[in-house]
Amino acid sequence: MLASIVSHGLALGAVYALIGITYNVMFSASRVFSFTAGMLGMLGGVLGALFISKLGLPAIAGFVLVLVCGAVLGIVTEIVTVRPVLKSIEQHLYVLSTLAFALMVQQVTAIEWGTEAQPFPRLIPIGPGWLDQQFWLPMLACAVTIVGLEFLYRRSLVGRAFLAIAEDSYAARALGLPEQRLRLASYALAGMIGTLAGFSGAEMQLAYFGNQAVLNFYGFVPVALGGMGSNRGAVIGGLALGLFQQAANFLVGGIFAAVAVFVVFILVLLLRPEGLAGAASARRV
Amino acid sequence: MMDATASSPAARPRAAGWFARLEGALPWLALAVIGVGLPLLDDSYIGVIAQRACIYWILCAGLNLVVGFAGQIAIGWVALLTLGAYTTAVLTAGKATAEWHPYLALMASAVAGAVFGVVVGLPALRLRTFYFAMTTLGFATIVTQVALAWNSVTGGGVGTPGPVFPWPFDPGWGFYYFCLGLAALATWMTANIASSRFGRALVAIRDAEVAAEASGIAKPALLITVFLFSGALAGVAGGLFSSLQSYITPDAFTFDLSVLFFIAILIGGRGSIMGPLLGTIILTALPEFAAPLVAWSTFLYAALLLVIVLAIPGGIADLLDYKNRRPLQQHREIVPRPELLAHVLDRAGGPGGVIELKDIALHFGGVRAIDGIDLEIRAGEVHGLIGPNGSGKTTTLNVISGYYAPGTGHARLNGADLPFNAPSARAGYRIARTFQTPRIVGGASVLENVMIGGTIDGRGSFTESMLALPRHRRDEARLREAGMLALATVGLDQLGAVRADRLQHSELRFMEIARALMLRPAFLLLDEPAAGLSAEEIKRLGALIVAISRAGTGVLLVEHHADLIFEICDRVTVLNLGKVLAAGTPDEIRSHREVVNAYLGG
Amino acid sequence: MSIRRRQVLSGATAAGALSVASGLAKPAIAQTEPIKIGYLPALTGPSSSTGIGINRGTQLAVEGINADGGINGRKIELIVRDTQSDPTKAVNAVAELTQRQKVSVIWGPLNSGEALAATPLIARDKVPMLHPCWVDQLIDVKKYPMSFRIAPTNTQVGVGANHYVVDVLKLKKVAVISDTTGYGTASVETYVPMLKAKGADVVYSGHVDAANPDLKPELLRMQNAGAQAIMPWSVNAGFLSRILNTRGAMGWDVPVVGQTTLGSGQTKALLEKPENWNKVYSNNFRNCCYVNGKLPERAQEFVDRLRKAKIEMGDTLLWWIALGWDGARLLADTFKAVGPKAEDVVAYWNNLKGWPGVYGTVTWTPEQHNGFPDQEVVMCEVNSLRDGAFNLAPGYGS
Repeated sequence: MLASIVSHGLALGAVYALIGITYNVMFSASRVFSFTAGMLGMLGGVLGALFISKLGLPAIAGFVLVLVCGAVLGIVTEIVTVRPVLKSIEQHLYVLSTLAFALMVQQVTAIEWGTEAQPFPRLIPIGPGWLDQQFWLPMLACAVTIVGLEFLYRRSLVGRAFLAIAEDSYAARALGLPEQRLRLASYALAGMIGTLAGFSGAEMQLAYFGNQAVLNFYGFVPVALGGMGSNRGAVIGGLALGLFQQAANFLVGGIFAAVAVFVVFILVLLLRPEGLAGAASARRV
Repeated sequence: MMDATASSPAARPRAAGWFARLEGALPWLALAVIGVGLPLLDDSYIGVIAQRACIYWILCAGLNLVVGFAGQIAIGWVALLTLGAYTTAVLTAGKATAEWHPYLALMASAVAGAVFGVVVGLPALRLRTFYFAMTTLGFATIVTQVALAWNSVTGGGVGTPGPVFPWPFDPGWGFYYFCLGLAALATWMTANIASSRFGRALVAIRDAEVAAEASGIAKPALLITVFLFSGALAGVAGGLFSSLQSYITPDAFTFDLSVLFFIAILIGGRGSIMGPLLGTIILTALPEFAAPLVAWSTFLYAALLLVIVLAIPGGIADLLDYKNRRPLQQHREIVPRPELLAHVLDRAGGPGGVIELKDIALHFGGVRAIDGIDLEIRAGEVHGLIGPNGSGKTTTLNVISGYYAPGTGHARLNGADLPFNAPSARAGYRIARTFQTPRIVGGASVLENVMIGGTIDGRGSFTESMLALPRHRRDEARLREAGMLALATVGLDQLGAVRADRLQHSELRFMEIARALMLRPAFLLLDEPAAGLSAEEIKRLGALIVAISRAGTGVLLVEHHADLIFEICDRVTVLNLGKVLAAGTPDEIRSHREVVNAYLGG
Repeated sequence: MSIRRRQVLSGATAAGALSVASGLAKPAIAQTEPIKIGYLPALTGPSSSTGIGINRGTQLAVEGINADGGINGRKIELIVRDTQSDPTKAVNAVAELTQRQKVSVIWGPLNSGEALAATPLIARDKVPMLHPCWVDQLIDVKKYPMSFRIAPTNTQVGVGANHYVVDVLKLKKVAVISDTTGYGTASVETYVPMLKAKGADVVYSGHVDAANPDLKPELLRMQNAGAQAIMPWSVNAGFLSRILNTRGAMGWDVPVVGQTTLGSGQTKALLEKPENWNKVYSNNFRNCCYVNGKLPERAQEFVDRLRKAKIEMGDTLLWWIALGWDGARLLADTFKAVGPKAEDVVAYWNNLKGWPGVYGTVTWTPEQHNGFPDQEVVMCEVNSLRDGAFNLAPGYGS
C-alpha cells in the first residue's frame, strides 16, 4: 500500500512539478500566467501516442518530434496570445487570450483525436515490475529538467539573459538584450518542458484530451504553493501534492480526494497568497 | 452642457436631449417588444430557447457585474448555477426535506447563491487575477463532485427532478413570461447599479485600483456586496434552470457552460449591460441555427473570445458606441477657472490644520528609501518637495497617502495619528492626491471619472441604488453637478461626455485634479502634475494650485519643474538620498549651497 | 470520428432528399408524406461510443426500409439531433422535434442524463417514445404512459450478473466498484442490496473517479477483504482497463463480472497484456452470443447483412448495432400495422407480444413497458470477441 502511494505519488507529482515549471518559465519571461501549460501536457501524451502508435515512428523519433511540436506551440502561444496583450494596458486580458487558445486546441483534440482515452505505447520494451517505467520516467524527466535549467540559468549566457529579463525587463533592454527574442525562446523552452511532462506521464494518464483541465489545475497548485517563479518551490510543491493526492485517494477514496486537495490549496493560498517561497509583490503606486 | 465634438459647438435645444434619451432607450424597447410578443409566433421550440436565454441572462447579468465591471475573472461561476438548481430541485422534490413550494424554494436558491457567491468570490480579495480564476475553477469541480457524492440528497449521478411552477407560470408560455419578467428585473437592477456610484467604483477598482483607494473606495466591502448580489441572481437562474430541464443531473453543468457565460459577457463588452445581454442571447440561440457546426460550438466560442481579446477588447458595446467615434476638436485648450473654487471647496469644516511627518524612515529590502524625514503641510500653503530621482519624493507622498507604512516615525493630522496601510481611509480625512502616471478609467467618460472622486459622499446604499430609490437619484444628481463644477474649475467641462482614453496626456492630469477636488480636500497631494505639460499649461496649472491653496487647502507639490516650484510655493523641502537636504522658503533654498551643488546646478 | 459524423449527416441528408423527392414527385396527398421519426443519439461528446454504434444500426435499417418502398408508400424521415452527451441540448432538441418538426415518435436518447431530462418533456408533449436507456426510473406507466423501453433495465442487468456470480460460479464474497457517473453510482446502489438478498457477502463497495490512474489501493482493499469476484459497473473503457491491468499486475486470479463495456474493443486496446482479458465476463444478450461457435439464426442473418453493407464491427459491439437496427425496425413494423398516429402506436405497443428483434424479443403490456425478457440477459466471455460478438460464458445451462 505504502509502496503504491509513494511510487504513484512521486510519479504524478513529478508530472505536476514539470507543469508547474512550465508555468514558471512562461511567467518569468513575460509576467504572464498562461492557461496553455495544461494544454502542452495533454498534447505531450496525445501527440506521442499519435506519432508512435498510430504513425508507427520509433520511440526516440516520436519523442523528439513531440518536443519540437511543443516548442512550436510555445512560440505560437507567445506570438498570438501574449505579445499583443502585453502591449495593451489591460493586464488581465492575457488570462483570457491564453484560455481561449487553450480551449481551441482542446476542442480540436477532442474532435479529431476522440473523447476516449487512448493507450500510450510502452516506450522501453521492459516488462512491468514493481518499479515500472511509468513511475520513474516522469521522475527522470523532472530531474533532467531541473538540472538542465540550473545549468542554463547559472552557467550559460542565454540562461542569465533569461534571468535578466525576468528580473527587470527595462534594465535588460537598456543593456541591449533582445527582449522579444528571449521571450520567444523562453516560451519555446516552456513548450518543450510541458510536452515532456505529458509525454513522460502518459503511460499513467493515457492519451486523453481531458488531461488538459486536470494538469492545468494540478500543475498550478505547485506554483501557487511554492511561489511564482520559483522552480524549486514547484518541484517540492508538485511532489508533495502528488503524495498528498495519492494518500487521500487511499484514505478517503475517490471523490473526496479531489475536495481535500482543493480545500488545502485554497487555505494555503488565503493564508500566504505569495506562496511559501514566493517573491514580494511589485510596487503598485 | 457643451460638447467638444467638432460638429456642434452650440448648445443643443431641449428637444434634442429628449431625443437622445429615446435613442438610448430604443434597443431596450425593441427587446421588450420582441420578448413580450414572442408567443405570437406560436412556436414552443423558440419558446424553450427563449426561456433558456432569459435564464442564462439572469445569471450573466450578475456575472457581468463581477467580470465586466469589477474585472474579476470568475471562470467557474457555473458552480452557483449548479447550487441554485439543486437547492430548488431538492427542496421541491420532498425526498430529503419536506416539500417546499416552488416560489419559496426559488428564494432559498437566491439565498444559497448569495452566500456561496461570497465564498467563491472571497479569494478575489487576496489573490491575483490568475490565482483567483483557478480557485473558481476548483470550486466548480467541488460543487459537481459534491452533487455526485451526496446521493441521499441530490440523487447522486441519477439526479433529481426539477420543480413545476403552478399556474400562471406553468410550463410553456406561462413559465416563459415568468423567466422574462425576472430577466427584465435583473436587467433593471444591474443597469441601476451600473449607473450608480457603486458601478463606477467597481470599474475604478478594475482599471485604476490605486486611484479608487485614494478616492476612499473600500474594495472588500464593495466586492463582497457584488458577489452577494450576483450570487443571488445565479441562484435564481439555477432554480429556473432546474424547472426548464425538468430533471437535473450533474453532467448538465459542464465547463463548457461556464465558458459560454464568460464569453457572452466579454463579447458583449465590459462595463456595458446591453452588450452582454445581446451576447448571451446570441450564444444561446446560435447552436440551434448552425446544426452541422454544433460539435464545434465550443471551439467557435473560444475562437471568438480570442478575436475579441486581440482585436475588439471592448466587444459589441464598443462597436455600437458610435457616439465616441465622432472626432474631437483638434486644438483644445485647457482654461481653468479658479474663481469657481469657492463653490467647489465649499468649506463646511473649520479652518484647515496641519499634516506633520516626524522622523519617517522606510526601507525596501536593503535600500533606505527615506531615512528620517520631517515635513509639515499647512492649510492654505503650497509646500514644494523636490530632489533628484530616487531621493524619496514619491515614497514620502505614498507614506502620507497611506500606501506605505514607515518603519519608524509617525504622521499626524492635527495632532492625531494617521493610520498606515489604509489608503482608502485618507479620503475620509479629506486628503486627496494625484498620481505620477494618471490612473484613470479609460473606458468611462471624463465626467464619470471625476464623479468617482466623490464616491464617499454618496448617502444611498447599494440596495437603494439597485432599486433606483429617491436617495440614489438625489446622490446622482448631486454628484453629477459637483463633477461638472469640478471639470469647469479645471477647464475641461467641454469634454465631460468624452471617453477618458481619448484625452491628451495634459488633459488627463487636469482631470485627476478635478477628481481630487471632488473630495473638497483639506489637503491635496500632487505627484508631478506638470510632467508633460506645455509651458502655457504649466502657468495655468500654477495659478490653479495657488488658488486652491488660497481657498484653504494645504497643498504638497512634488515636482521636477524648478521654475514652477519657486514661483508658487510658500515653503520648499529638498530631499536627497532619502534625507532632507534643506527646508525653507524658496529664496532660502535657491541660494542654499548644497542644494545648488546637488541638484539645481550653476 | 469524422467518418461516422459524415455517415450521420449523409444518412440524414439522404433520407431528407428522398423524402423531398418523393414529395415532389407525387401530388400533395397526406398519405405520401414521409413519416417523421425524431432521433436523439449522442454522437459526439464524452459518452458517445455506444451512440455511434447504435447509430450504424438505425441508419442501416431506415435506409433499407426506404429502399424497399417505405411504409405503405411513405418514406421514413429520420430527423437527427445530436445531443452531444449534454442534457441541455437534449431538452432543446425535444422541443424542436415535438413542436416544430412535429414528429410521430421519438427514438432515444440513450445516455441517462439526457433520457432523464427528455422523458418528462416528451410525455408532456404527448408524443410516443421508444428508448434504449437502462436507468430504472425512466419507465412509469402512470407518469409516462407513452414511454416504452426496448432494452433491459439496470435491475435486469444486475440480476443477470449477480445470478452468474452467486448461482453459476457459486462465489460468496464479492467486491462491487463503479465510477462516479450517474450510471455507475446508481448501479452500485441497486446491485449491492440485491446481492445481499441473494445471500452474498459484499466485502467491498465503492465509487472511484474514472480519471484516477491508480486503482491499486482499491484492489488491494478488495484483496485484503477476501473478495472472490470483482464486479465493476462503468461505461468508461479507461477505468475498466485499469482494473483489469491492476488485477494482472497483482497476479490476482479472480473473475471479473460486470458491465458490457468490459468487452469492448476500446477496453481491449488499453490492456497491458492480452492475458488481462482472461476470466472476464460481461453482460450480453442471448440473441447476440455464440453458442458452440455459432450465432442464433437471426443474429447470423444480421451479421451477413452488415458485412454486405460493409458496416464496421470491429471497433464496437454487435449488440449496439443490433439495438439500433431493432429500434428502427420496430417503429417501421408499428407504422405498417397501425399507422403513425399517437394513440394507435401506443395501443399497438401496449399489446405487443414476442416481437422478434435481433437484439431482444420484445413484449409489452399496459402495466409493463419494459420490453426486454429477463432470461435473455446473460454473461459472455469477453476474450472470445469475434466480429463484435462473444461466446456465452461457461456454466450456463443452455
